[in-house]
Amino acid sequence: MPGDPASAMFARFAGQLQPEAIDSLRVAFGFTDEPLHQQYFTYVAHLFQGDLGLSIAYFPSKVTDVIATGLGWTLLLSGIAVIISFALGTALGVVATWKRGGWLDSVLPPVLIFLGAFPYFWLAMVLLYTLGFVLGAFPARHAYSDTIAPALSAEFILSVMQHMVLPVSAIVIASLGGWMLSMRSTMVGVLAEDYITMANAKGLSQKRIMFHYAARNALLPNITGFGMALGFVLSGSLLTEIVFSYPGQGYLLIQAVRNQDYPLMQGIFLTITLAVLGANLLVDILYVWLDPRTRAR
Amino acid sequence: MSRRLLMLCMSLLSLGGLVNCSKSPKEGAQQTPAPTAKTEAAVKATALTITQEQQASWIRNFNPLLVPGTARWPTRAGIYEPLMIYNTVKGELVPWLAVKHEWSADNKKLTLTLRPGVKWSDGQPFTAKDVAFTFELLKKHKALDFPAVWAFLESVQAKDDATVEFTLSRPFVPGMLYVVHQPIVPEHKWKDVADPVMYKNETPVATGPFTEVKVFQNQVFELGRNPHYWQQGKPAVESLRFPAYPGNDQANLALLTGELDWAGSFVPDIERVFVNKDKDNNHYWFPLVGNTTTLYVNTTKKPFDDVRVRKAISMAIDREQIVKVAMYGYTRPSDATGLSDTHDKWRNPEAVAAGDWTRLDIAKANALLDEAGFKKGEDGVRVGPDKKPLRFDVNCVTGWSDWVRAAQIITQNLKQIGIDASLKTYDFSPYFERVQKGEYDMSMGWTSDEPTPYYVYRDLMSSETLRPTGELAARNWNRFSNKEADALLKAFEGTNDPEEQKKIAHQLQMIFVQNAPVIPLFPGPSWGEYSTRRFTNFPNKDNPYSKLTPNSPPENLFVLVEVKPK
Repeated sequence: MPGDPASAMFARFAGQLQPEAIDSLRVAFGFTDEPLHQQYFTYVAHLFQGDLGLSIAYFPSKVTDVIATGLGWTLLLSGIAVIISFALGTALGVVATWKRGGWLDSVLPPVLIFLGAFPYFWLAMVLLYTLGFVLGAFPARHAYSDTIAPALSAEFILSVMQHMVLPVSAIVIASLGGWMLSMRSTMVGVLAEDYITMANAKGLSQKRIMFHYAARNALLPNITGFGMALGFVLSGSLLTEIVFSYPGQGYLLIQAVRNQDYPLMQGIFLTITLAVLGANLLVDILYVWLDPRTRAR
Repeated sequence: MSRRLLMLCMSLLSLGGLVNCSKSPKEGAQQTPAPTAKTEAAVKATALTITQEQQASWIRNFNPLLVPGTARWPTRAGIYEPLMIYNTVKGELVPWLAVKHEWSADNKKLTLTLRPGVKWSDGQPFTAKDVAFTFELLKKHKALDFPAVWAFLESVQAKDDATVEFTLSRPFVPGMLYVVHQPIVPEHKWKDVADPVMYKNETPVATGPFTEVKVFQNQVFELGRNPHYWQQGKPAVESLRFPAYPGNDQANLALLTGELDWAGSFVPDIERVFVNKDKDNNHYWFPLVGNTTTLYVNTTKKPFDDVRVRKAISMAIDREQIVKVAMYGYTRPSDATGLSDTHDKWRNPEAVAAGDWTRLDIAKANALLDEAGFKKGEDGVRVGPDKKPLRFDVNCVTGWSDWVRAAQIITQNLKQIGIDASLKTYDFSPYFERVQKGEYDMSMGWTSDEPTPYYVYRDLMSSETLRPTGELAARNWNRFSNKEADALLKAFEGTNDPEEQKKIAHQLQMIFVQNAPVIPLFPGPSWGEYSTRRFTNFPNKDNPYSKLTPNSPPENLFVLVEVKPK
């Protein structure tokens, strides 16, 4: 990346900054010329104390404070979006394959793939314009109504849910197709297996075969994808958040990159990494429950 | 990026025609209060809703001594106040916390008399000690001295409770502006602050009209009135509200749905997009008092060191087209002095008349290049005496769509006179680093925003601001200096006689016009939109008591104390 944080600072102040002031700011930010390994050890040591340093773009706030302003909202938004699109997409995949050649199977996949090809923010903008602006059916910005303070009240929770409809829909619409297709392709394979034929021969109910015999086995690759998807959705929700002025983390990352705010970038990447790791742990637990073969004896 | 999003959004809007933006009737049927624009606005009719900063969520920081843009916007435009405020539209210095200023005969001492009866928002009196303390803080912490007042100050002393004396190390009259614009902080609160550079000042004590933080959430904050404000009966507005919008497009959308009362963003085709939505209430005012958008040329490089080449480039540029296509007709072509309407009273008509090189004249431009020794090659591109073809980049910032369009027009224009220019866009940081280091051929840019032409010309022609290529230069990105201009600037620093200053400014304009150190394109409009649905008495062209735009603190104090609820 060309430029350095100091000149980015200089840029931000559009010539109001004196060269001497930049030197003092460098000291304030903690820019040093120490050898790299030393800087690394300092970083790791600070990390264990929960200290991620000072943000440059939001000087003099701590990186942890800056991230804390939006992390919860981002996790809530993308968490719910991922769960909905995963559950809905997978269910659609199961049902579509079961009725192979039916209208669901022939119409939905191409439509969803078409929608999935749009960038998140474009769908978000279309939803914002039609449902938020023209029809006014849903609020067009922020995570909850500006006139109420956050509290554990029914009014607040309802407000949060209403504000989430459009951004969640944008993410769900864009990512639904992938889940459905991958579920469909494994389902097709599983349905050809002998044990399905046998279950049919035993005269088990169609519902039981569909969900317990076929879907449960076909679900495994999708579950693996779930953990990985969370990372992508975090970055996908970034643009959606900007369109809906959602007070999440998305805009922070862009601000950090624009200002070459390395401490903030590190902090955000760290939280994304932790979120993905956390999701993977969850997935592993799910896996053990779903697949008896993975249970250790 | 955000501007591009805005353009997309706006074209979507125009595609949909001017659909009536009123909310659906469903709203009334919902049992809970729907958190849509209209209901919110109705609830909060007492709060003036403003947008200025582009943030996704707010960080609580009200430290007025930090770099502008770090603390929340009202810190310098509502919470803390300066000693005096320069009114750009009227071109005069308005007394604020100080009522009078006086220069000593040798222009090395500036004495300010403070307004009696001013109190901090905690009821303590405001005195000269606070002023001296604030300036001492800047001296002690160089990271706070952004206006660089200690470059020319020697000492600041409180003579008595109402008198402050600034001693300068050299006569420097233009520096007064930076002295009087410095926000003043209370000594009794700040003397205990361990490190004012790292201080977020979450609960400010100040002299401004709005000092009480009533609400602070990550998506909206609200400021209430100062109970001890010194202007009797003002402000008329009960509180200010600031919802967080990450970009222009979101802010513009809020403007269209009637949530915002006051904004200062660029809106394309504003008559159709904004005013037509609600002709009675939606208004805008774009006076041409911003800085001048300018094509910078690197005068240390060949062939831009030749004034004939610079003038030829300028003559080939179709400014009318740029204004019409790139700027939606919001502005007009610049004259050769490069001054905007802020400096109208300084403008030298003779210099304007002599500056023929900002008028479109392809024939003359070609003639000038021929004369300078650049012959047209076989491919139509001119070749210099050193056999190098005239092939250059025009630098611009990615996503600044008005500039990008202007730069595109310029590159087409230059092809007509045999200069093969191509547009190169960068993100802001790398763009600005190149400009500051002088590592470019031609670049879009802007002139200084200061009230007197002194700073405009010092930035473009003085050897004081000149830095070698490769070194960061805060100003003078064109890297040009002129001995005559140096002498005139020096003379300007040493006089506070308005007539004398004007004479010098006229001569500076002549030198600028003769040398064309940069190529001015158009004076920048200062963006400002407002809605009279809930509040009135905003400045406009019929009542130009101040700039409308919220983008230039501390001038916004004029607006904040004058706006009234309907």
